[in-house]
Parts: sequence; structure tokens; C-alpha cells
Amino acid sequence: MGRYVIRRLLWMLLVLFVISLITFAMEHAVPGGPFDREKKLPAEIIANLEERYHLDEPYWKQYALYLYDVLVPRITTEKPLSMMDETMVNIKLGGKYYLRWMNFGPSYSSRSRTVNDIIREQLPVSLQLGLLSMAVALAIGLPMGILAALKQNTIWDYLGMGVAIFGVSVPVVAMGPVLVWIFGVALKWLPPTGWGARPPYLFFFVPRDLFTWNFWRYALMPAFAVGTGFSAIIARLTRASLLQVIHEDYIRTARAKGLSERVVTTRHALRNALIPVVTILGPMFAAVLTGLFVVEQVFGIPGLGRYFITSITNRDYPVIMGTILLYAIFLVIANVLVDITYAWLDPRIRYE
Amino acid sequence: MLSKKWSVLVAALLVGTTLLTACGGAPQVVTVEVTKVVAGETVVEVVTATPPPPPKEMRPNVLHLNFGPGDVPTIDPALSTDTSSVQVVDDITVGLTRLNEVSLLLEPGMAESWTVSDDGLTYTFKVRQGIPWVRWNGSAVEEVLDCEGNVRYVTANDFEYGIKRTGNPGTASDYAYVLGFAIKGFNELNGAAGWSDLTDEEKQALVDGVAVKALDASTLEVTFTTPAVYNLNIIGLWVAHAQPKWIIEGDDCTEARGDRWTEPGFNQSYGPFVLKEWIHDSSLTVVKNTLWPGIESSPVPQIDEIQWSMLDASPAFAEYEAGNLDSTGVPIADIDRVKADPVLSQELTIAPSGCTYYYGFNTSKPPMDNVHMRRALSHALDRQGLVDNVTKGGQEPAQWFCRPGMAGCPTMESHPDAGIKSDAEAAKAELKAYMDDMGFTSVDQIPEIVLMYNTSEGHKRIAEAIAEMWKETLGIQVTVTNQEWKVYLVTLQEDSPQVWRLGWCLDYPDANNWTREVMAIGGHEETATQWRNETFTALLEQAAVEADPVTRQDMYAQAETILCYEDAAIIPIYWYTMVNVTKPYVNRTYSQHGHESHEKWSLNLELE
Repeated sequence: MGRYVIRRLLWMLLVLFVISLITFAMEHAVPGGPFDREKKLPAEIIANLEERYHLDEPYWKQYALYLYDVLVPRITTEKPLSMMDETMVNIKLGGKYYLRWMNFGPSYSSRSRTVNDIIREQLPVSLQLGLLSMAVALAIGLPMGILAALKQNTIWDYLGMGVAIFGVSVPVVAMGPVLVWIFGVALKWLPPTGWGARPPYLFFFVPRDLFTWNFWRYALMPAFAVGTGFSAIIARLTRASLLQVIHEDYIRTARAKGLSERVVTTRHALRNALIPVVTILGPMFAAVLTGLFVVEQVFGIPGLGRYFITSITNRDYPVIMGTILLYAIFLVIANVLVDITYAWLDPRIRYE
Repeated sequence: MLSKKWSVLVAALLVGTTLLTACGGAPQVVTVEVTKVVAGETVVEVVTATPPPPPKEMRPNVLHLNFGPGDVPTIDPALSTDTSSVQVVDDITVGLTRLNEVSLLLEPGMAESWTVSDDGLTYTFKVRQGIPWVRWNGSAVEEVLDCEGNVRYVTANDFEYGIKRTGNPGTASDYAYVLGFAIKGFNELNGAAGWSDLTDEEKQALVDGVAVKALDASTLEVTFTTPAVYNLNIIGLWVAHAQPKWIIEGDDCTEARGDRWTEPGFNQSYGPFVLKEWIHDSSLTVVKNTLWPGIESSPVPQIDEIQWSMLDASPAFAEYEAGNLDSTGVPIADIDRVKADPVLSQELTIAPSGCTYYYGFNTSKPPMDNVHMRRALSHALDRQGLVDNVTKGGQEPAQWFCRPGMAGCPTMESHPDAGIKSDAEAAKAELKAYMDDMGFTSVDQIPEIVLMYNTSEGHKRIAEAIAEMWKETLGIQVTVTNQEWKVYLVTLQEDSPQVWRLGWCLDYPDANNWTREVMAIGGHEETATQWRNETFTALLEQAAVEADPVTRQDMYAQAETILCYEDAAIIPIYWYTMVNVTKPYVNRTYSQHGHESHEKWSLNLELE
């Protein structure tokens, strides 16, 4: 199993390399550059800016410089592009020396922030929201699906599936403002916008006030708005899968053995029924993360979703690369985790 | 008979309980009989006691505003280009001159007075003394100290450094070019080719060549290129505010912060407000600078703290309705509801805003190369109908390009017939003139016309409405298309379509910034319009230095008529307004020049 995981992670590096190459090619193929303005900049200023950010070099050299900055840790006297005193990326070693690694570059739009700054401050917020939304989706979807399957063709089934259809049909763009209107403006129970957690975070993304009401009062509505849509998918899938498993022979054997219904359901039926559900959790998490842009805009949440989109409209090349590579990493890791959970759920599945 | 101790105790209890009952309700005067023993004799006294009134509940002296979606890109004066950056810079620093936000009249800022040389080119500014550089130290506003422990005050050297830093190609400032219009030697520095290949001596020579010199701590001498009327405007712009050299480049006792000097914790400023907190993408907070002495054009602020959030238009409006924002813009979709609502309609204000919405022509592409065709399209556009039914924000139909209210710009009162008007009959007559010119007999023979705008829901609705108007009045069907913003900018510069949409907002409130910088030969949109009129450009160059305001305004009115009617190089559509709702407890002004003067605002602190 260990060797399997390592092999997968090595594949991930190859995948990331290919993605970065394609992204680099596409971002430079699209017309328009980062310094195009409505009020045209003087040509000398544009030349200056391009030199500052190495945009006047040939493409292969730009790409090579980028990879070098990201992958190769080195001791350098080269002053960072802006005076960064980040503890992790450009570590000052006394005198004029810096240890530099994992440097994803500057942001063309914001002079005082680098891509690492942006990711360090905003990614945790998106992660928190994403994980909470997944938790909501599972917390609503799983019980609904299980109940509907166990009590098939009863009121629970129809009600559950009806709610599921509703959840998947109403997009976040509609549900978000409605929730804001009801709970934020009319009843004033919850704040309409904002996020309760601030940097610095524990373990990179855990908010310090996770167990306070201040965090939850901001997180409830957005997590719910995103989670209901995905809970519908989980509910339907769980129901279908469980229904199929319940009619299998080994379930009948288990009942014949005299096991209680509860044990049959939880120990035998569910473990098999959940395999398809777990399969989609990986891509679902990636979908949640990438789709957060709309939620973050509606609820005013300072997450990474906005940068995903605005970096492209601004032609902010380092941020584009940074966000795309980030999502690629998440997708690959999510799939690796899914495969590992697979093996745990189904002993027939083993990797060498 | 009660003992002395007992009597005092009982009396105290009586007074105490009576006072307690008064706590719950309105303060009442209570009378109490107190038995005291004085000089061995028991005496009964009547005491009246008025309990103090309970304190009134007050709202915090904090103003909650909203910038709009996305982080503030920077608050470095040299690098600021967009409205939120400039707003913060204008709140935390003050320029040599300051523009009154309501009257648009020039007022002294950090320069308390100035003298002009005989040729009108060299100004000697007297910089105010005694205004300290300050920073937020985590709990209070404190003065910045230099290496000897003395307070750092704002000097003329700080202004010289600020202007030269803005012009330095190494800073790569987007907005430096505006100073290049006015200050001598500035363009040589800012536009120096091959800057990084120059030696240090050559670079220093170019920097020294900028005609801005601090003769001593309180005197700044600036030489301009022309005796233009707007020179004092330009020298007061945010890109020419004082900047703190020691924190940017470092000195003996301060670590250089470089591009990070604007981050909270490092930022230093001197104006009416101080940067307190900046949580990127979430909020930015400034507090009142308790060490700001107040000057006439920028008094001591009455508000303790301003907090800006960074929300999109609709969530911001939801926050306003929930009571968490004190003023915000009204999203277009909500305008009708706000106008009809009894409470919100009272809080609604529609005020002029410094931008013009227009369509330009590529005058080299047929059929736009014929002036009759251009005039026909311009006349056929029903501006009032567009404003009433599509944009709904109380915008003003525009007859010319320059926004009335800017210095030198004609107004509807002074020049009601300048520029061009919506006129369906005139449109048809012009179309006929075009068809006669070309020998066409039917509108189908007219070459295809493409109307392009940058992708946005709002621009789409306007474009479709206008296409419909042209179809109805003239029978011409135009092809409406759109492109993403950056791609659109490239298209405009390389091969603009026959009709293209743009807006222009002021950099400084003077007609020169509009008609000349945008439309004249060498202006921003010369390539997009392919229109070059020497008489027009010459007229504008004259108007730039014309001292008599009435003559100047006439000259600009004449120029606008050339631009919009005689040559019809553009179609002016409407002048922007801002549609705002503001809570009734906010006492505010509405700025005409793009950023508010928050130090003049105040809040009614008592809760109703």
C-alpha cells in the first residue's frame, strides 16, 4: 500500500508538470497582456514592467525561470522581488543571504503581495468553506439516502427524493441570496456577508475560533447553500446503491445467520453501498472548491475562488499558474485518498 | 427612641430603596425624611434627591462603507490607479493643493500659499510645518521618530521625493504620465528608454532633471512646462503626495520595506486618517489621526473610524438593508424597488459622477468614413429614452464628451446648443444625405456595421436598445458583438470596429483631461477613432492656457461641437450619476471629483 501511494504521488508530479506546460502555453496564447490598460501606458513604462517581471525573455526561458523558482531550493543573495519577510519561502539566513524555495512568483495586480501570500491567506478560507459544505452535504445526503432506501416506496422515500431534486435544481446563485434575505435581512439572525476566521491559521487551514459561535454564524448559510446541491447527489446515489446491495445474496445470508437488522445494515450493507459514494467524493470536493467563486461573491467571503477568475481577466500569469496548479494538486490528492478509502471499505480491493 | 446608628441606617435604607425604584423608570425627584442626630439632638430633615438620568444609548462613531468586489490593489500613492486605492490615499495623505469636493474649487492643501514667477511657469510653494508623520502602533496613533529620537515632520523634501519616486521608471507607476503633462523634466525621467542599462550617474542625472526642488524644509519650487490653468490641479493629485523615504528605502535606524511599506504595521502617513487594519479581500479600516491639526480644506475628522468592506453590489445592498452598512450604491435591478419604497426612497440620492459613456467611430472604415452617416447614427439615438427605460439611474443625456462640472467644460445652462442632440428627423435627413453621397437607393446597400462592447450585462442591454433605436428610426440593422475586456482593449488599439463602446472618467476635474487627453491628436483614443483634426487640437492647446474662464469655456464648447457634431467622431450618450442610499444618521457631502472627503462627514450618534 505504501509503495502504491508513493507511485501515485510521483504520477502527480508528472501530471502537474504537464498541466503547468499547457497552462503556460494557453495564457500566453490569449491576446492581451497584464499591462494593457484603457488609458494606454507609455511604451517605456510597459518595457520597464516587462523587464521587471521577465516578460521580455523568450517563452522557454520564462517557463524555465518559473520552474526554477518553484522547484529548486537555493541560497541566494538576490533580493526578493518585494521585500518579503515570509517565514516559509524566502528565509533570511543572516547577512544578505536568503534560502529560497517554492516561490510561485509575484502578483502583477498587487505590488505588495506575492502568489504565496495570496494562497497562504485565502486558500484556508476556501478550504474551510469547502470542507464544511462537504460535511453538510454528507450530513444531509447520507441519512436521507439511507432512509429512503430502507423505507423504499414510503413517504420517507418520496419526501427524501423530492427534497433531493429541489436541492440539485436550485442553484447556489438563487439559494444564496434567498437565504441572505430571509436570515440576514428580514430576521437578522445571521450576518448577511463575511467570514468569521482570520489569519493566522492552525495547521495551515484550521481557524483558531473553530468552536465559537462567531465562526459558525458566518459559515452556516454559505455552507448550507453549497451543501444542499451536493447532498442531493449523495442522497440519490446512496439510495440507489443501498437498494442494490440490500437485495444481494450475502445480505440474506447475514439475516439468516440471525444478525439484527441494524448490524446487517451498518456492518454489511452500508460498507458496500458506500463505495460508489466515496468514489464521487474526490471529484466532488474538487468541484466544490472550483465552484466556490459564486458563493464567495454572494456572501462576500475572502476566499481563493475570486482569484481563480480575476487572475485570468487581469492576465496575472503567476496567479493563474498558482491557482491552477493548486487545484490540480487538490484533485490528485483527493483521488488518491478516495482510492485508499476504497481499499479500506472493500477488502477485495488491494493495491500492490 | 432609635439610637443614632439605627436611625442613620434606616434613613440610608429609605433613601437607597427610593433611589432604586427610580432606576427603572424616568428620573424622578424623591423626597425623603432623614433622621439625624446633630449635636446631641435628634433632628428630622427633609432631603430631596434627583437620581442622575440613565445614559442614552449611542451608536459607535464608526462609518461602515463598501468599496466594491475585489481587494484594494495598493495604497501606495505612486502606484494607485483605481478609485478605491485613490480614496484611501486621499484619506490618509494630503496633496499640496486640494480640490473642494463639492464646488471643485482649488484650495490650499499642504501648501499654505504659493507665489508664481512672471512667466507663469515657476511656482514656489510654502509647505505647512508642524504636521507629523504618524503610524498605528497596534493600539493608538503615534508619531514617527527619526534616528535621533525627534519627531519626523512633513517637509518639502518628502514631496520632492514623492514626485521623483512616482516618475522613476523603476517604480513603474501607471499614473505617472499625468504629471508628465505639467512638470518640466518629468517625461525625460519617466519615459527614459532602456532605464536598467543606464549607469547610476545617468539615472541620477535624469532624476535631478525633474524641475521639483526642495529649497529648504518648508519651500518647494516646481517649474511647469506651460502656464496651463490646470497646473495647480495636477500638482495636488495623489501621485504627487509626500512619501516617506526612510521606510521605503530604509535609513540608519529603519529597515527598508520596499514594496511592502503600505502593509499595515509598516505604513506611515500624515493626513486626517491613519491605516489601522487591512485584511486582504475582506476589509480595510482607517482611524482618525488624533495628531492631525486640521486645515481649512481638510478639517479634523468627526468620525473615529471608517471600515470598508469589499462586497459585490448585491450583497452590499443586502448588508445596507440589514443595517450593517451606512451608505452604498443601488444595484440596477433594485432601483425601481428603492424608488417605490417609502423608507428607502427617502434615503436615495442621485448625484452627478465624473464619467461619460460614449460610442466611438472608426472613421476610416466604411460606412463610418462619411460624416453624414456618423451624424445620422448620433441623432437617431434617443438618449432620454435610454436613460429612462434602460439605465434608470437618473443619468443625464449627453450632448458632448466633457462632463459638465469640470473646469472649463460647457454646461447645459451656459451652452444649451453645443454638441449634438437626439433628433429623429435630423437623423433621417442625414441618412438621406449619405445615401445621396454614395448613390445608394436602399438601406440594404449600406456596408455592414459592427457595434462592439466589452462583455458586461449592463453594456449588453444598452447596446441592444440602441441597435433597436437605429433599426426603428433609420432602418439600419447593426451587428452587435462583445469581447472580454483585455481582448477588447487590444482590438481597439489594433483594429477597432466601426462602432465601439467606452467610458471616460476624470483623472482631474478639468476639461483638458477630457477633450484633449482623450480625443485630440496624440490622445488616448486617436488610434481607435482614426480621427485627426488639427483645428480641434490647436484650439484645445490654446484653451489649456487661456486664463479667462468664460473665454475658456467658449473654446471648449466650440471644440465639443467640432468633435460631436461637425465631425461627429464620437456619439456622446450619457453623463454618469451615482445612485446611492445613505442612512439618515450620516451627514455627508457628495463629491464631484471621484473621491469623498470623509473628514467632513459626521454621524448622529444618538439612537432613535
